Amino acid sequence: MWAIETRNLRKVFRPLLGGKPLTAVDNLNLQVPAGTVFGFLGPNGAGKTTTIQILIGNVYPTAGEAFVLGHRAGALAAKRKLGFLPEKFQFHDFLTAEEFLRMHGRLAKMDGATLRKRIDEVLELVGLSERRRSKIREFSKGMQQRIGLAQAILHDPDLVILDEPTSALDPLGRRRVREVVQYLKERGKTVFLNSHLLSEVELSCDQVAIINKGRVVKQGVLEDLLVNRSIVSIELQQATPQVLEAMAKVAQRVHPIDERRVTAEVAHEDDVPQLARAIIEAGGALMGLQAHRETLEDLFIQTVEGESK
Amino acid sequence: MSVIVALTLKEAMRRRAFLGTLIILIGLYGLTFLPRAFKEAFGGDQQQFEVGVNLAVLFGVDMIKFFSSVLAILLCAGAITAEIERGYLAAILPRPIHRWELYLGKWLGVMLFSAANATLWTAMLWASVAVQGEPRAEMWRALPYVLLYPVLYGTLALALSSFLGASIASMFTVAAGAFAYFADHFLRPIAGFFDVRLLQQMVWLSEWVLPMAVLKRLVQIRVDTILPPGFGERPRFGRPEVLEFLNPPVQNTDIAYVGLYIVIALLVGAVIFWRRDVQ
Repeated sequence: MWAIETRNLRKVFRPLLGGKPLTAVDNLNLQVPAGTVFGFLGPNGAGKTTTIQILIGNVYPTAGEAFVLGHRAGALAAKRKLGFLPEKFQFHDFLTAEEFLRMHGRLAKMDGATLRKRIDEVLELVGLSERRRSKIREFSKGMQQRIGLAQAILHDPDLVILDEPTSALDPLGRRRVREVVQYLKERGKTVFLNSHLLSEVELSCDQVAIINKGRVVKQGVLEDLLVNRSIVSIELQQATPQVLEAMAKVAQRVHPIDERRVTAEVAHEDDVPQLARAIIEAGGALMGLQAHRETLEDLFIQTVEGESK
Repeated sequence: MSVIVALTLKEAMRRRAFLGTLIILIGLYGLTFLPRAFKEAFGGDQQQFEVGVNLAVLFGVDMIKFFSSVLAILLCAGAITAEIERGYLAAILPRPIHRWELYLGKWLGVMLFSAANATLWTAMLWASVAVQGEPRAEMWRALPYVLLYPVLYGTLALALSSFLGASIASMFTVAAGAFAYFADHFLRPIAGFFDVRLLQQMVWLSEWVLPMAVLKRLVQIRVDTILPPGFGERPRFGRPEVLEFLNPPVQNTDIAYVGLYIVIALLVGAVIFWRRDVQ
């Protein structure tokens, strides 16, 4: 079963007073399996936020369909099982943390006893138990983000959509968010994570989708997408055309940076020694070589730049 | 919906509306002591004193109409679009509630707050004249109609706020009120005395656009009994239709039109909010 499914989803914003229509989402097809931690990635303006707004029912699609936990996006049945942490928010800061969560629990139609129990649990989980009677206006930006996370998971939703959950957090706060994501995963929940912090996504997610210009350009299990490919940073005395040609025979891609430095992508870690041999056999003076496995950031940049060309 | 009502009431308190309420309370209290102060300073008989009290009461009722309307406009104009822009609704809208519940909850919250204020002010006005030995029950009879002022203006401002920012929504609401006031207080006598058909039609149209003059008449017939001699008298000469135009009688349909107007404004705002994208 898909926790989220979109079929040819499209959203065009038409300015009221004329002007050029803006296509934010363009035939987006996305399948998010239930029970996974799913990273939703893309450059600024790729259509991520608009897609999320459609999924939570805030924005109506121009065409296509979107389903959340088997219900049409925006339907009350879908919203009952959905938790959401917005990227840009302003909470009612005159409330205390406890009052704020009680308000959200009542909006989520939770009964009194369950709500009291869950408030204790989620405050503990996000590390704000001791500040439960503090007004939100007294919270730091990071603490506000954590109380936002608490309201998103308060009603024990099956799907949690987190829009840039770590943007205002210090490393400790980020680790706590990772722990919360892990806690949700262990309980079989689906987490849909939109973040620009790709290292965070890499640490937390099972699957990712990269979107660009409103379309999905790459989607899959993270381990499959980053299969054994290595990025090799090479320093030569001089990157001659003969050396570059020899490297291209072994590597999938060769990017000269300047006269001395070259980056190469090889399909497998085992190809790195062969690449070094090829450089030397072509008469290149190898000054330095450092190989690392392809990261999500490498994949992201390569995918987005490849799309843009 | 009760959660949204409670939240709106708390927000109104937070925005120091309570402080405004207190200042107006003090103003109303002081106002009613002016006739006694004048009597003690300049002399005068009991009848003059009673006329002074009546004028203070009439002015006090006008103050309550004005300030409760201003309060409702201020609270309603920023209730939807401004809250979306500031990000207040970002975590509330994905909750399993219909948008109309959110809209109606905000409306109810503001109306309850405005009604509570207007009632409190009326109570203060009544008590302060009562302690001077001059209780006036007329203001209580007018209160249900006085309460329609904040309901009318608040509903209009809320409907506009469903697609406009706070300052523009309040500006349009105030402009509509100013147009209705201008039409009733300035255009009506000119159109009547000079019998200008076009101006008469404009006055008639203004009552449809914003039934403020209709509301004014509904309040007026409840407090007419305390009008001092010579106030509010109809002109004695002229064609019957012109005299009626200058001082229109209260019709049974008046209250129905005001009610219908409020319901339609509420529905239009709710439909716009339901159909718009929120981001």
